[in-house]
Amino acid sequence: MPILESQSLTKTFRRPDKASGFKGAVKHLAQRKYKNYTAVDGIDLSIDAGESVAYVGPNGAGKSTTVKLLTGILRPSEGTVRVMGRDPHTERIANAHDIGVLFGQRTQLWWDLPVEESLKLLKHMYGVSDADYKRRIERFDELLDLNEFMPALARTLSLGQRMRADLACALIHDPKMVYLDEPTIGLDISVKDRLRAFLRELVNDGTTLLLTSHDLADIEEVCERIVVIDKGAIAYDGSIERLKAHYITTKAVNLYLEGAADVPALAEKFPDYEWTAGEAPSEVTVTYESNRFTTAEVLGSLTAQLSPRDLSLSEPSIEDVIRRLYAGELTK
Amino acid sequence: MADALSIKRSVPVRHASGIYWRALAAHIRSVIEYPADLWIMASAGAVWNVLQFAFLAVLFANIPNIEGWGFHEMLMLSGLLSVAGGANALCFDGAWNTGSMVIKGDIDYRITRPAPVILQVGSSHIGLQSFGELALGFAMLVYGWIGAGVGMAWIPVGALAIVSAALIQTALVTALCAVNFWIKSPMSIFAFLLIQLQGGAMKLPLGVFPAAVRIVSLFIVPVAFINVVPVAVLTGHMNAWWLVGTPVAAVAAVALAAGVYRLGLRAYDSAGH
Repeated sequence: MPILESQSLTKTFRRPDKASGFKGAVKHLAQRKYKNYTAVDGIDLSIDAGESVAYVGPNGAGKSTTVKLLTGILRPSEGTVRVMGRDPHTERIANAHDIGVLFGQRTQLWWDLPVEESLKLLKHMYGVSDADYKRRIERFDELLDLNEFMPALARTLSLGQRMRADLACALIHDPKMVYLDEPTIGLDISVKDRLRAFLRELVNDGTTLLLTSHDLADIEEVCERIVVIDKGAIAYDGSIERLKAHYITTKAVNLYLEGAADVPALAEKFPDYEWTAGEAPSEVTVTYESNRFTTAEVLGSLTAQLSPRDLSLSEPSIEDVIRRLYAGELTK
Repeated sequence: MADALSIKRSVPVRHASGIYWRALAAHIRSVIEYPADLWIMASAGAVWNVLQFAFLAVLFANIPNIEGWGFHEMLMLSGLLSVAGGANALCFDGAWNTGSMVIKGDIDYRITRPAPVILQVGSSHIGLQSFGELALGFAMLVYGWIGAGVGMAWIPVGALAIVSAALIQTALVTALCAVNFWIKSPMSIFAFLLIQLQGGAMKLPLGVFPAAVRIVSLFIVPVAFINVVPVAVLTGHMNAWWLVGTPVAAVAAVALAAGVYRLGLRAYDSAGH
C-alpha cells in the first residue's frame, strides 16, 4: 500500500510580468501585469512503504517545489497529495509526526543555540521519550559523530557538521517518511561518504525515503528507484537498473595507438563503430552498440588490426543517461 | 474547513505553551553564556528609559501638569509602556523576523513541525535590550505609583494591567509583522511605525488629542489600553469601568494576531521555486 500518493499534483505561481531595468519597474507600478508559472505540472507519484526513491531533474525542474507540496509547506494549485492517508497541508500537525524533512540549503537548527538545545527542543516538540531520545542520539553519534559538536552554537558549525546535525534533527522522532532535499550539497568527499552510509542504514531499517540530489552517486548508492522530473513533469519513473538496461545501449573502448590516430580513415575502415578523437593525438574512442556486438568481438577485431599500445573500457554511467534525459534526447 | 494551522484545533494549548517556554528558556540560557553582549544591550535599553525619566523631570520642573496629569502620573505612563515593550522584546522578539523568514523561506521547517508556527517564530529570538527596558520601566512605574499615591490595594489591578499591556503590545506588533507575508519585505515597517507612534503619542494623556485620535487608539488599534487607560484609571482620571476594556482588548489583539498570521501562512509560497 502506498505511503505517499499524489494525483495530478500541480503548483502554479504568479510572477510579475515586467520589462527589465528601472523603466520596467516604474511601468509595472502603474500597469501591474502578472503571468502564471507552472513549477509542478500534473505529477502522479506513488511511493510504497520502505521504498527509497531518487527524485532528480535539472535546476528549476520543480524538485524542491514538489517536496514542499508533499510535505505540506505549499498548497497545491490543483491535484491531491496523501501521506499515510492524510492531506499534508490541511492536516499539518498530524502529518508532522510521521515525516522528517531536510533541506540541504537551509538549516532547521536554532541559530543562536547549541546543537544539543535544538535537538532537545525538537524532542519535546515531537514528544519523544527520554529513553528513545538517548538511544537515537547514541546511534546518530555512532554514525555521524554528533558529540564532536553537540555543545557548539549552530552559527559556529562547519557545513558538514551543520548537515549532520540537521540530519539528526530530521530523524530524532523516527519518522516513517523522510524527505531529503540535496542533503550532500557543498560537502566534501569524506562527509558525503559518511552521510551516504548513514542513509543506506536508514533505508535498510525500512524507512521510506525521497531524495533529491544533483550528485548521482548519492542516488546510485542509496536509492533503488529513480523519478526524473523535467519542466515540472515526470520524464522517467522506474528502477535504476531498468533505466540502465533500457537506456545504456552503447559501450566504449579507449585506444592508445602507436602513432597519431587518423579518425576519418578508421571510421571508413570500421563503419559499424563510432570513432571520436581523444585528448592526445594517439588516443581515440570507439563507441559500439552493446546489443549488436559483444565486447570480446570488438576488442578482437580492433587489437588484431590496429595493435594498440594500450586500451581501456569505459562503462557509460547513470550520469550519462540522466544527462541525456535532461537534454531531451531520451523519452520515457 | 478545518484549518490545521490554528493553535486551538491542532495542538493542545499546554503542549504548545510548553514548547514556547522551553525555546525561550533555552535562549535565555544561551544569552547568559555571553554576558558582555547581554550587558551592552541591556544597558542600551536602560539608558533609553533614563533619558525619558530625565526628560519628564526637566519638563515638570517648568510646568505644573499636562491636562491635569502630574510628574508621577506621566512617569507611570512611560514606565508601563516600557514594561510592555520590554516584555514583547523578551518573549516574542522573533516575530520581527517574520518578513526576512518569509523572503528566505525560513518558515518551511516550522510548517513541518508539530507546533504552532506563530509560537515557533515568536520564540526564535530574544531582544537583549529587553532586560534594561523591563528593569528601568518597572522602576519608573513603581516610583510613579508611589509618588502618585496610588496605594497598595490597587496592586492586583496593576498586575492585570501589566499582563494585558504585554499581551496587547506583543499581539499588535506580531499582527503588523505578519503583513510581511504579503508585502515581501524584510523590514516590519508597520510594526516599526506603531512603536514610533506609541513613543510619541502614548506618553501623553488622551485628553490632549482630538476625538478622532482618541477613538482610533481606544477602539480601532487599541494602543491606549496598553498604558494610557490603566494609568488613567489607577490615578483617578478615568472611571474604573474602563479597566474591563484592558483584558478585552488583550484578547481581541491576540485573536487578531493569530488570525492574521494564519491567513499569512495560507498565502506563504516559500522561496526558490
